[in-house]
Order: sequence, then structure tokens, then C-alpha cells
Amino acid sequence: MTSSPTATEAVLESGRTGRAPRRARRRRGRLTGLWFVLPAAAIVVWFTLVPVFYGLGLSFTQYSPLGRTGPRIIGFDNYVRLAGDADFRQAIGVTVRYTVQVLPVLVVLALLLAVLANKPFRGVGLFRSALYLPHIVSLTAVSMVWLWIYSRDGMVNELLDLVGLDPQRWLHEPGSALTAVSAMRVWKALGSNMVLLLAGLQAIPRHLYEAARMDGANAWQQFRYVTLPGLRPMLVYVVTMDIIYLSQSFAELFVLTQGGPLGETTTANYLIYNEAFQHNELGSASAMAFVLFALIIGFSFVSLRALTGRKS
Amino acid sequence: MTAPATSRPAGGPARRLRRPRTVTGRRPGSLAVLVITTLLVLVPFLWMLSLAFTPEEAAFGSARLIPSHPTLDNFERAWSDGALGRAMVNSLIVTLIAVVTNCVLAVAAGYAFALLPFRGSRVLFYTLVSTVAVPVSVTLIPLFLMAKTFPLTGGNDITGVGGTGLLNTLGGVVLPYLIMPMNIFLAKQFFDGFDGDMAEAARIDGASELRIFRQVYLPLAKPLVAVVAIFTFTGVWDDFLWPLVVTTSHDTQTVQLALTRFLGSGNVQYGALMAAAVLVTLPVLAVFLFNQRHFISGLTEGSTKG
Amino acid sequence: MPSITPRRRAGATAAVLAGALLLVSGCGLQPQRSGSSGGDASSLTVWWPGTNQAEMDFVDDTVVPAFEEETGAHVEVTFVDWADLSPKLNAAFAAGTAPDVFGHGPAAVADFVVNDRVEDLGPYVDRMDPALREDISASLPGGQVDGTQYLMPLSVQGTLVAYDADAFTEAGLDPDDPPTTWEGVRDAAERLTVRDGGTITRAGLLVPSNPLGAQQSFAGFLAAAGGAQLSDDGSTAAFDSPEGEQALDFFAGLYGGDSPVADMLGEDYVNMPPNQQPIVKGDAAMAVLTAPALQQAVEAAPDKDIRAMPPLRFEDSDTPAMWGGAGPGLMINADSPAKDLGWDFIADLLAPDVSGQYTERIGAVPVHASAVDSEYVRSSPVIAAFVAASPSFVPNPNVPGWTGVRDALDARIAEALFGTADPSDALSDAADQVDSLLDAG
Repeated sequence: MTSSPTATEAVLESGRTGRAPRRARRRRGRLTGLWFVLPAAAIVVWFTLVPVFYGLGLSFTQYSPLGRTGPRIIGFDNYVRLAGDADFRQAIGVTVRYTVQVLPVLVVLALLLAVLANKPFRGVGLFRSALYLPHIVSLTAVSMVWLWIYSRDGMVNELLDLVGLDPQRWLHEPGSALTAVSAMRVWKALGSNMVLLLAGLQAIPRHLYEAARMDGANAWQQFRYVTLPGLRPMLVYVVTMDIIYLSQSFAELFVLTQGGPLGETTTANYLIYNEAFQHNELGSASAMAFVLFALIIGFSFVSLRALTGRKS
Repeated sequence: MTAPATSRPAGGPARRLRRPRTVTGRRPGSLAVLVITTLLVLVPFLWMLSLAFTPEEAAFGSARLIPSHPTLDNFERAWSDGALGRAMVNSLIVTLIAVVTNCVLAVAAGYAFALLPFRGSRVLFYTLVSTVAVPVSVTLIPLFLMAKTFPLTGGNDITGVGGTGLLNTLGGVVLPYLIMPMNIFLAKQFFDGFDGDMAEAARIDGASELRIFRQVYLPLAKPLVAVVAIFTFTGVWDDFLWPLVVTTSHDTQTVQLALTRFLGSGNVQYGALMAAAVLVTLPVLAVFLFNQRHFISGLTEGSTKG
Repeated sequence: MPSITPRRRAGATAAVLAGALLLVSGCGLQPQRSGSSGGDASSLTVWWPGTNQAEMDFVDDTVVPAFEEETGAHVEVTFVDWADLSPKLNAAFAAGTAPDVFGHGPAAVADFVVNDRVEDLGPYVDRMDPALREDISASLPGGQVDGTQYLMPLSVQGTLVAYDADAFTEAGLDPDDPPTTWEGVRDAAERLTVRDGGTITRAGLLVPSNPLGAQQSFAGFLAAAGGAQLSDDGSTAAFDSPEGEQALDFFAGLYGGDSPVADMLGEDYVNMPPNQQPIVKGDAAMAVLTAPALQQAVEAAPDKDIRAMPPLRFEDSDTPAMWGGAGPGLMINADSPAKDLGWDFIADLLAPDVSGQYTERIGAVPVHASAVDSEYVRSSPVIAAFVAASPSFVPNPNVPGWTGVRDALDARIAEALFGTADPSDALSDAADQVDSLLDAG
């Protein structure tokens, strides 16, 4: 590194400036970024984007993967049919409800744990690993444990019994099934959210905390005026990631409730999976998928506006 | 829609409230919260562990966390036919390839999207990332056809006709994981936290862009690379649907497929399943433990980050 | 996206759409007539349905070595968990890489047939030893579509009412003379139900009501009432009938009304671990179960006397009937270059001694009528009851698009069971939905 120490030091001292980086675009190297992006972009375009457009094209056709004749173009028929499909409407509602009730709990809990597990002490790695464990354990296997936890004589009802309450049929009553699955989902996703926020905490310069303390800020004020603003880019990522993944939930519902009772846990992606692989209708499955896609993009956009719009 | 760089922290109240505590000092309260949460989170996993050591016929028989007659039979059965061992090797190969490509190429791309924007880069960025919001059910078969018609592999000619391409090969398994768009997004968000001034200083000194990336920014991005490695490893290790359709033989099966062997319809082998699931989490846990050391708190490091 | 003006954006979208359609029509999705993997007749690829350990061991250690010895061919068997069969088969057929022989349940057969993906097995069946063909004849219709054989069932599936004989005795009922009608079962259930205030602590009768289980239970009641799910030609719904209403009223009445006798609405108790089975734990006095589940329950409760009731009917119907029929079986890929070899593999599995060993290993009901004299059936009263009941099992119809029809019917049945819809409304709604699905298919 041959940069003059003074220039670099000055930069390091200055911390973040309020300017968005893209405004500091240089004449020189206008296309340098393209070379950095090209290898990754080429791979994504080829192995992800092309199949996506393929799927988009399929949504205007009727196509059974078992068929010998290829897709038959039917224009917007799939979309028109979806507009009047009560089951799909219900599934979109379930998807939105599930996302909305898991997301805030997940992010707030993960943030709390990340702050607590960010301070170094002996054994902090073990705590972090323990909290990350649910994320890596096989869903199929652990769902059997959760089925048992929620069962009639399971752990939750045992605890209720201790305080004198009647047992509940957590996964099988229309009123509670989605919430019961949500609890498992929070448990499963907590670790990954925490790890991301931990990484975000690392990027906050220490001298900002020192400056805040010099000004006499207490712990809460430091969190409010240093940690939260510094975490914002990572929070944006975490919330977007959660929305994208939560809106496509399928696996945990498949193993815990099979979409029941009364379709109360049938998410849009559950229907899409069934339509594609049980009913062999890849065309209408694709149409459902792109309606869901539009919903996810819209949902992400609105939440990001809310997250980044408020300047502190 | 991008996160603006943060503004300077507003000062706290003017009067000093009390002397600041030492940075590493922990209040017992916060430690208690951490311990209790961790124990709660571990409960289902401890049950899995308990089932893994419980004889098959006693599975779910008693509500005791410590099995009364612990046994290693389940682990023996899970490991005995060799399918699990073979699957672990396959999964390791696939995940490691994906970790390398994501840690290098996705991080570089995210860096450029944040700090070296070019004409059309935002559109490109959002296009790449938005692909993640398309359910895999509908991209599965198109991707499968692409893997089958991959040129010059598996008996295919240059136009991708004649053979089975990358089907039933580890190369085919790794295709969709080579770059995970979410990793590009993650890297961009991380580098968004930096500004361009350090690069400016280095440019004035005549350093090349590649060198600026490698020697100025990458050292500051250790936590990022650690997270990308952990997430890529976990994501690929856990994925199911793609390996399911693209592999057909034991030689290419991944761990999640191997686990389905214990899910016999109406005849689940709970003990063996839990034992296999425990064995399968160990490599991921090792990767996590190794990488989490990069989250050395900025509060203790002498160096500052900006 | 500020760098694109609206007009350019519209142009770009149109270009993208056009490109996508070109892609779809132009590459990869043309009709595939290519052979499957294992392109010569000296090797065979088989995708086996389900990952039952005993079944996998039997196929790997007994069936395959014997077959390879006999034919000199190489066989590669891949076991696929039930839930994963369809995605795997769909992708493989779309790309023309499907196996020579593959298994599935009868519900999926018609879709393979309508797309000309499976071989007509009629000629092979005709060449079978007549005595053997007669021996398995009861299971064959479940593998037929429009009278043509496409699937060879490996076992018979079905459900019977299991009951706790000691509970019968306690309640003053005669376990040696169980009821023969559903009305009689309902009366017995009233006497067997134990309540604590408003909650049931022991159910008199449990019936599968989980997603898809509800449709099968309803089909069983409907058959016992003398009704049918679809018209004879499979073109319209036939369950919106007096028989259908009787069946659904009875089914929903188990959970509702003044004195419900069933609980666990929506729960899949059939697939619970054996020692968690309600009838094993004493949480139920009677429960509708499949043969393997009932067999496992008997083994898990050695101190209990659990028996199976013969098939039931409703009082105003004359033939007893239960849901069931052909179980999972094997089909041959229409594009396979090794069809004869594939048939030889299937035929080996249908040989009486192999089939007997096979069904014994997995605790299933044999397809051979003669199995009634086998050691396996004679030593297990439960399996013997299922074998005896085999002629009364009524299968789901094999029509294209059946899975969609089944799901729609199942959802409406559930509404009636949970009391959010009136049974007759649920049936007419379901009939409308099913008719439009059958028209589209």
C-alpha cells in the first residue's frame, strides 16, 4: 500500500461523511465497476435470470411437464383465472399475515441478541453458535420435535397445565395454527438474523461511541443515536431478506400442518408447489408465482421506504 | 431505495449523567437475558439429541430429556449403509465450491455496486437481486433443462444435444449456488456503510482499483466475508429441491436427500433420523465456529473503521 | 429506476416478454422422445416409491440381486420419498430423462396416461400365467384407466375400523360381535366416549380428517352409503347426491351436534409414532386405521386387545364398503428402450413368494387372494381382516386431473367438518369446482 499516510489517516478519522458514495463518481474508472460485477452478473443472468424469464413466459401458456407437445400459448388466461380464484386470494392473505406477524418479532429479537452477543467475553462463540443452531438443523427432523412440542400431551400443553390452563390444539385450530408455525419460524430464523446484525455492528466505528460518551450519552442514547443509524444498511438487508424468504414460506407449513386447517396455513407458495408438482400445471403455477413476485417486490419497496425514509 | 449514509450522531443531553462504564463491563441483567434466551432456543435441539440416543421403540415414549437407556444404535444405523458418509463428501465439495465463488465474485460485485457505480448499475443490481423473489417451483424445470443441455458435458455436443449434460453430476448440483444474488445484496449493503474517501486517497497515490479493493476495503470487510461464507455454506448444505431433481444416484446425493431415507411413509425411523440430522449439522457448526471469530467486536479492537 | 424513461421501459418489457416466449417455444420444451438413461436393454433404472427401511432393504438385498442373477442385466434402484416423487418425475419427463420403471400411487396414473408417458401393460398381463393373473385380479382395476392396465399394484391399501376390545367389554358391548353398520358404530361410539365436562378425554371413534385424509374418509362413507364420487365415465361430480349428503352429515356429525364422539379434527393421527397412537394410549376406543398403522399399534400395545372390524355399510345400503383398493405400484416409461426387461422386474415382484415376503416386511396387505393361507396372514389377525376385506375396498377414480379434483373436494369437506359450511352447501360448491376442473382437463 503506497498511499500517503496522511490522506488515509484523514479519511479514517473522518468516519462516515453524509454523502452518498455514488455522488462521488469519478471520471476515471467509470466502467471499472463493470469489470468487478461482470463475472457474478454473468453467472446470475445465465443460471437464475434465464430460468426466471423462462418461467415468466410459461405463465402465458398452459403446460404440463409431463406433456409431449410443449407449452400452449393462452395469453393472459392464467392471470384472469387467478383473479377469480378464492383459494389463491386466501393464500395471499395467509402469506401476508404470516410475513407481517413474524417479521417484527424476528428483527427486534435478533437485534437484542446481536447487541448482547456483540460484547466480547469468554465463551461468546458458544452463545452465538447455540443461537445459530436452529438455522442449520434439518427442518424435516426438527419439525418432528415441534410436532411433538405442540401435540396434545406435548411441552406447551404441559406448561399450560402447570398454571392450570386447558390444553390447546395449537396446530389444528384455525385460530392458532398460523401463529404456532410462526413461533417455530421465529425460532428457526433468529440465528441468521442475529449473525447479519452482528456483522453490521462490526462496521460501526468505535470513535462514534467514544464521542457520544464524551457528550454524556447513556446506553440507550448510544444505541439510539449511534448503533441504529450505523446498522441501517444491514437492517435494510435483513428486513428485505426476511420479506423475500418469509413470503415464500412453504417447507415448515408442509411438514407441520400440510396447509390445514381450512387452508389457514396454505401460503401462496404452498399452492404454487402443489399446482406445479401435484396438479402438473406449470403454466398456472408460474402465473401464481409472478403475482406473488409482484407482491414481494411491492412489499419490500414499501418497507424499505419506511426504513430509509426517516432521516434521524 | 438505497440506504443513505448515516448522519453524524446527534449529541446526547448536555449534562453528564454519570461516568461511562468500561466498555467491556457487562451488566448481569443482559447476561441473564442472553443465557435464558439461549437455553430456550436450545430446547428443541436438545430433544433431538435426546431422541438420537433413545432406542427406536421408546421414541416419544416419555417426557424426559435424558434418555433412560441411552444407546449409540441410532448413530450406527444412520451411518451404516454408507449413504450418509458419501452424501456428506458430496455436499462438502459442492458447498466449498459455492463458498469460494460467492466470497470472491459476489463480494466483488457488491463492492462495485456500492462504491464503483457505473451507468445502469442500479438497474442491473435490482434485476439480479429481484430474481430471489421468484418461487423456485417455477424455475426448477427450466433450470433442469439448462443443466441437461449444458454444452460439452455428459455426452453433449457444443449445442447441448445428445447427452444428459450436467444432470446427475456434482457440477450440475452446484449450478444455482455459484452466485447467490442475496450475497451480492449483502455485500453492497455492507460497503454502503463506507464512503469513497479512502479510495480517493489511494487513487491520488496511484493505486489500481483492484489493489484498492484488496488492500483498503477487503481487510475491513472480514465480518462480511465471514457472513457470506457462513450463509452460503448453510444455504447450500440445507437446500433440497434442486439436488432432489438433478441427482439420480447415490454417487451424487447430498446430505438432505440422504436424510429422507429415514422418513419412510408411516414408518419414520425417529432415532436414526435424529442421529443423522445431528451428524449432518456438525460440519456446518464447525464452519460457523471457525468463521464467527471474525466478529471480534469493534469495541475492543485498537483499529478504527470508517 | 430513474435511468429508464417510461416509454423505453415499456419497450424493454415488451422485448423481454417476447424474448421469454421465444425461449419457451424455441428451446428445450419440444416434445421429448429420447430414450431414458440406461439406453440399452442390459440395464434398467428404477425409481421406487417411498423410503420405508424394510422395503429398501428387501429390494436392495433380495429382489435386485436375484433379478440381476436371472437376467444378467444391471439394475439401479433409486428410492424416492413419497412427498418428492412428483417434482422429480415432472422434471425428468420434461427433459426426457425419466427412468425405465417408476412407482407411484394410483391417484397419479391418469395424468401419465393422458400424456402418453406410460406403457399399456395389457399385453404383458395377458401373457401372465392365468392362475397367477386370477390370483391378483382383485387389485388390478385400481391400476387401470378406462379399462387399460398401466400400473401393477404391489400391495393393497385400505382402511378399517380398529377397536379396543377391552373398552368394548367395559362399556357393555360384545367385542366378538362388533357393529356391522355405521349407525351401529355411532351408537357404540356414544357409549365408548368419555367426557370431562365439555371436552372428550377418550374418543369413541376417530376418523382421518387431516388434509387429504378427509377426502378419503368421505369417499369411504360415500361408498358405504351406496354413492360414487364421479359419474361412471368420470366426466362429472356425482357426490352431490342424497348418498353424499348422508355420508357428509354422518362424518360432520361425529364432531358436532349435541354429543360429539370424535376429536382430533384435522390431525393426522394415522402417521403418529406407534406409541403415540390414540388407540394405543387409550385416547380412543375405535379408530379408522391403515393396515401398517394398525399392525404397528398392535405391536406397540401388547397388553391391549386391538382388533379390526369387518367393512361397514349404512343401514339403507346393502353392500359394505371401505375406502381403499390398489396400493402403490410400478409403471413402465413409454419411451423406455428396456420395456421387456422392466416387465420382467415387475413380474418378479408379483411372484407369490416374493410378493408375500415383500408385504410381510412392510406390514401391508398382499395382492394375492391366495395369500390368505400364508403364514404371514394367518399369524396376524389384523392383516387377515384386511385380506378378507379386500373385495370391499373402493378406490378413488382414475381420471386425468384427479389430484386437483381431490384437493378441491378435500377443502370443501373440511369446511363442513369444521362447521364453517353447511354440508349440503359444501357438496354443491365442491361439485361446481370439480365439474369445472374436469371440463378444463
